[in-house]
Amino acid sequence: MSTFLPASSLTREKREVMLGWGLVFPAVFIILALILYPIVYNIYLSFFDVNLHRGNTFVGLENHRTVVTDPTFWRSLGTTVVYVVFTTVGTTLVGLVVALVMNQKFPLRGLVRSLVLFPYVAPVISVVFAWQFIFDPVNGIVMDVLVERLGILNTRVNLIGSPSSAVWIAIVFSIWKNFPFTYLMLLSRLQGIDKNLYEAAEVDGASGWEKFRYVTFPEIYFVTSSIILLRVIWNFNKFDEIYLLTTNVRVLSVYTYFKAFVGTMEMGQGSALALIQFILLIGFILFYVKKVLKW
Amino acid sequence: MVKKRSFLRSAGFFLLVVLIVLFCIFPFIQMLSTSFKYQWDWGNPSLIPTQINTDAYKELLNIGQDLKNVPESIIELLENTPDMTRAQKDQILDKYRSSGDVFPFPRYFMNSLILSGVAALMSVIIAILGAYSFSRLRYPGRATVQRGVLFVYMFGGILLLIPLYKVCVGIGLLSTRGGTFTALLIIYMVQTLPVSLYMLGNFFRTIPFSIEEAAMIEGSSRFGTIWRIIIPLSLSSIVTVYIYSFMIAWNEYLFASVFLKGFKNLYTLPMGLRALFVSKNAVWDRIMAASVLTAVPVIALFMGIQKNLVGGMSEGGVKE
Repeated sequence: MSTFLPASSLTREKREVMLGWGLVFPAVFIILALILYPIVYNIYLSFFDVNLHRGNTFVGLENHRTVVTDPTFWRSLGTTVVYVVFTTVGTTLVGLVVALVMNQKFPLRGLVRSLVLFPYVAPVISVVFAWQFIFDPVNGIVMDVLVERLGILNTRVNLIGSPSSAVWIAIVFSIWKNFPFTYLMLLSRLQGIDKNLYEAAEVDGASGWEKFRYVTFPEIYFVTSSIILLRVIWNFNKFDEIYLLTTNVRVLSVYTYFKAFVGTMEMGQGSALALIQFILLIGFILFYVKKVLKW
Repeated sequence: MVKKRSFLRSAGFFLLVVLIVLFCIFPFIQMLSTSFKYQWDWGNPSLIPTQINTDAYKELLNIGQDLKNVPESIIELLENTPDMTRAQKDQILDKYRSSGDVFPFPRYFMNSLILSGVAALMSVIIAILGAYSFSRLRYPGRATVQRGVLFVYMFGGILLLIPLYKVCVGIGLLSTRGGTFTALLIIYMVQTLPVSLYMLGNFFRTIPFSIEEAAMIEGSSRFGTIWRIIIPLSLSSIVTVYIYSFMIAWNEYLFASVFLKGFKNLYTLPMGLRALFVSKNAVWDRIMAASVLTAVPVIALFMGIQKNLVGGMSEGGVKE
């Protein structure tokens, strides 16, 4: 830098500012126009009775009131909470166990590590059908094992077909699909832990569990709680993994989708639902960041 | 790890590894197995088909389907009338072909390919410029831009779906095929843009600034250094980000399901597969074969970029 004269470095700084904004402008413009504006527009729409062809009529808080007083809304909120809690706990636990296993040395580890990522990268649409087949009452292997081999059930039942059991299949499916992400994040953190810490713990006579509790756990605490936050955000908004597997599980996203795009297409109420979902999520994030991440 | 493991413990460990692998790939094996099975074999829990059936694949890829649905009498008639021109013959055959056209896999495949390919390309080009800007240049507002990009992670598709659909209907974009296609293209680009920006920003920071500085002292402009230094040096990362964006667009269902409702010709693979599944033509071997053919390109691409992608994701560049 010292080779530049002060005068020219000043113009250079100015030019850098111009260039910086110039280069980032297309990205910022697109994000503002197609992500931020729609969110604001969604809030606006939630105050209207939306009709695609005849225009909107202002109804104030009518949509919000209609939506909140509908018991179906509370039922789907309940389903969403169950779904989010169990999938988050499940993906985190499975991801942690797999990360601990993959951190050890064993033959064919490279191959195993890439096979484990398959569920995460495969298109949702192509794996849901395999899962449906596995749980199919007539052809599926699950019913074959439960009824014919083990005799736990007397008759073949359609687990994905009935809403009460379908939510659990959706939870297992989501854990299967998403744990590789948790595993990846945790593995890369585990690889960064100083080996000397374990040796020191061994010298002090720590057992395997104690080593995990007092060495590994503090090291992965922050990354784990960040992954949990991301997972809650994503699964709270999850649509395709649930809807494509079974339309019986009405979490909030699926409920909103049906409200806004199926049948009478109540888009105003749909917007109100999406807005409520968004506010609930923001509330949770603020709480979590304060209490768990302690920022 | 320094301690010697007893035989029992290492046996338990290997069992665990085998269980993990089985858990991960069993649905894929099931998919592959069923796609090769005949209908009478479906209820058989064995994963190895009793007899290999490749009809489903042939049907999807349009191999040897020319005369499948044509009645024999017509074929005979065509063969015995040599003075008919080729065009006339094709015209007659087309009648039967179209009725057998239950699931135009190649068309859906091309739609998905073009849509994802172009959207990812636009996303990466814009992201290269943007990521260069906030990883290399200093200006007021840079931190806000960077944080804003992260903020976008919080929004679910459903929150954007209703307003975007309303806007697109409002400006008449969804009344034509071209308009619908463009709308979806832009939406897919936006969906992948934040991840591309974030991943590329992280990659660019690993390139030592001194190389660039040297080039600029030699008289190269900023654009010159981006083009001649940054892009060549991070080519593998750019390819990684491109493929990751491609995969996100390839897998997208929510927006496609709402925007493409009226245009069956524009269906992407997820839309087509879903439509096939709920239609009366739903047959397990056909669905599974279509699933396999949808998953294979993505998994193959993933294997190609795995090492770079895993690094990029660990840095926080992800989207769901």
